[in-house]
Amino acid sequence: MKLLSLEFFKCRRRKIVLVCAAVLAVELMWMLTFFTRQDEEDMQWGWMLLLYNLSMVDAIVLPLSVATLASRSCELEHRGSTWKLLETMAAPDSLYAAKLGWGALVLAALLSIRTGLFTGLGLAVGFPGPVPWGRLGLFTLVSWAVSMMAYALQQGLSLRFANQAAALVCGIAGSFLGILSMLFPPALTRCVPWGYYGLLALVGMNWDEMTRVTDFYWRWPQLTDIALLLVWGTAFLLLGRAMFLKKEV
Amino acid sequence: MNIIETDGLCKQYGAALRVSHLNLRVPEGSVYGFLGPNGAGKSTTLKMLLGLVRPTAGNIRVLGKSMDGANRLSVLRQVGSLIESPSYYGHLTGEENLRIVQTLRDVPEKDIREVLEIVRLEGQRDKKVAHYSLGMKQRLGLAAALLGYPKLLILDEPTNGLDPAGIQEMRELICGLPERFGMTVVVSSHLLSEIDQMADHVAIIREGELVFQDSLSALHSRSRHHLALRTTNNPVARLLMAEKEISCHEEEGYLILPILADEDAARLTVFFAERRLGLLRLEERQKSLEDIFLELTGKAASL
Repeated sequence: MKLLSLEFFKCRRRKIVLVCAAVLAVELMWMLTFFTRQDEEDMQWGWMLLLYNLSMVDAIVLPLSVATLASRSCELEHRGSTWKLLETMAAPDSLYAAKLGWGALVLAALLSIRTGLFTGLGLAVGFPGPVPWGRLGLFTLVSWAVSMMAYALQQGLSLRFANQAAALVCGIAGSFLGILSMLFPPALTRCVPWGYYGLLALVGMNWDEMTRVTDFYWRWPQLTDIALLLVWGTAFLLLGRAMFLKKEV
Repeated sequence: MNIIETDGLCKQYGAALRVSHLNLRVPEGSVYGFLGPNGAGKSTTLKMLLGLVRPTAGNIRVLGKSMDGANRLSVLRQVGSLIESPSYYGHLTGEENLRIVQTLRDVPEKDIREVLEIVRLEGQRDKKVAHYSLGMKQRLGLAAALLGYPKLLILDEPTNGLDPAGIQEMRELICGLPERFGMTVVVSSHLLSEIDQMADHVAIIREGELVFQDSLSALHSRSRHHLALRTTNNPVARLLMAEKEISCHEEEGYLILPILADEDAARLTVFFAERRLGLLRLEERQKSLEDIFLELTGKAASL
């Protein structure tokens, strides 16, 4: 706990709030632009339309956002050559865990606020039907879980390489692959870590080629995909941790 | 009692043995100078003492306890360190930086003010460290190492990059620590003069090997005066001096013998003359510390 609270202390003046605000602003602007282009009939899909599109926006925006947050947290240690000081006072695996814990809490806060923001938007726009609180909660959890998997990868890279370019390029590639993988067949999408934003989406879409009518439906994430997400996350975590522990300061 | 003991300490990187079978003995309460040219293996050794680098072979005992994975951190609670360049968070103030160390070491909050006063940074505590000069960063690093007043302080080239005034100030701070707080200080440097002014014990390392370890006075005793003489027949002169029980050895055509009283030197020249041995040169010489360092390390004193 001491190390975790110090992570927040160390991130003072690191403009973490600004980074999170920028993420929210981009998602909000994206969705507002999208909604203004929909006709009244499409808007009747309300909450489903919101969550379907938010999955896509997540796949584009969150990989780079996650990379940026991990980089902001890890770079300050490289820049100040602080590992050789910290490791005389704390075990390296505890330092690794504290950084991961910081990322988990920041992402949880960011995504919870994001859900609150879009729930407010849905109510303001007047989506039909009751607010699907359970689905919104589950969507937040899925976004967080996929983001944490990506965070484990990004933290591993940001800790391993003092130059943050490698980690940020990985984040940019993730944003690109995240959206592109939605066009892949599911078996291939499962091979792309950032593709799980789409794979675990809570809303599916049918498009009838004959009638050119689109309809949406609720769906549940498949257990296979959840298990694979855990495998990816665990692999990134163990690999990143092993690389960090192996590195001598 | 020795506060640090190493036995057969080695570190190998690839095929290169960077630290080779070091047997260090650091007496408690001393200022122990760890001297060697750049690249001799000083920082690697100090990092091994702190458990930051894993030794390839050998044992380390600090404060009487073995420095293995299990008790490394409990031992290090009584050790302060400043390794190579200072560690700091540039976006935080000096006081905030120390608060991180204070929290991790679990020492009283009042220590922050005290150590800032000791290193004379109390006026700069609210300034971001990114705006500190190098000397101020070094002093902040020393303040962080002093938090909790550890029994042992390990400082790796603490005067590196400082201007002459900063070097003088840092030196005074370090020299006063054993007396003021009962600390043992291990300080590394590539400058002989610096160690000469700070340390009371000294170890000299060359290409990873320990070539000297003793008190500074023992090192100074190597620089005592001696006589150098050259005769028309040095081998015969050696035999004659052996007769008189005067120890000597030959160096570059000169016979080197301990300093003699004036009367003894006069008697020796007469003795040579009686044996028809011509005396070509008789010189009084003194080895400087630099000569000794050069002899031990094969490099100039400040390389």
